[in-house]
Amino acid sequence: MTIEEGAKFVAAAYAIILAVLVFYYFLSARRVNTLKRDVELLEQEVQRRQPGAGEAGGT
Amino acid sequence: MKQLVSAPALFVGAGIFLVVGVLLAFLYAPIDASTMGYSQKIFFYHAPIAETALVAFGISFVAAVLYLRSQDPKWDRLGLVCIRLGLLFSILVMATGMIWGKAAWGTWWDWEPRLTTFLLVCFLYVAYFVLRSVVEEEQRRATFAAVFAIIAFIDVPITFFATRFLPAGMHPVVITAGGTGMPGSMFVSFFLSMIGMTLLLVALIRRDLGVEELRDRVSDLKNSIGG
Repeated sequence: MTIEEGAKFVAAAYAIILAVLVFYYFLSARRVNTLKRDVELLEQEVQRRQPGAGEAGGT
Repeated sequence: MKQLVSAPALFVGAGIFLVVGVLLAFLYAPIDASTMGYSQKIFFYHAPIAETALVAFGISFVAAVLYLRSQDPKWDRLGLVCIRLGLLFSILVMATGMIWGKAAWGTWWDWEPRLTTFLLVCFLYVAYFVLRSVVEEEQRRATFAAVFAIIAFIDVPITFFATRFLPAGMHPVVITAGGTGMPGSMFVSFFLSMIGMTLLLVALIRRDLGVEELRDRVSDLKNSIGG
């Protein structure tokens, strides 16, 4: 096998590795951001529903 | 939530080792003189990814044992994260291995011991996620998953030693009791890639543990609002 022929296989292998790892990295980063936002919103909601906290809690 | 979510230093460290490792593999390590020729360059990431996948499954085995002893959900989370990452790395091993096989042996696949047992590992750990998805009650799910992770791990050492005890296969043995059989320049590239992949695994474990903790927190908060 010539270097040119081998290079195609090598490039394909490294491209797959890079693509999958970068995709997973950004996917998990996005998941972290989404979950952080959910936690924030839910914590605000829990606080709002606390008895005595704000008008709604007092009734 | 705070310290587990990001592990930037680990990601940067992993990136540096991986880039230097691959640069040395292409610019410093010689082209393999055997039939593999230039396609042997795939080895410098393929083998470290394979070793890292097996390490991830090893950690999941330890986490499963610790969960069964303590019933602490943090071990269930660690097991889940390690198996997910182990499976991700295993898919990369299979994909790059098939490409390398086509280049070096002229075939995408061969039912030889290492490849077959590694495929079995992948199927077993896919089944782990199927099992988790069908059990709803949290503690039961974690217990079943831990027991299954222990059973599934039996195939991991079989895969590792397949090429050593069953030498009939085509897959080469890289590390033996007598050393690596690689010239120094190849070994340096391989070793740096190995460190890089290990650091990447640790960084991803830390990040994914953060994700799982956040997910549990969301679930708790939803329950507290619902109740």
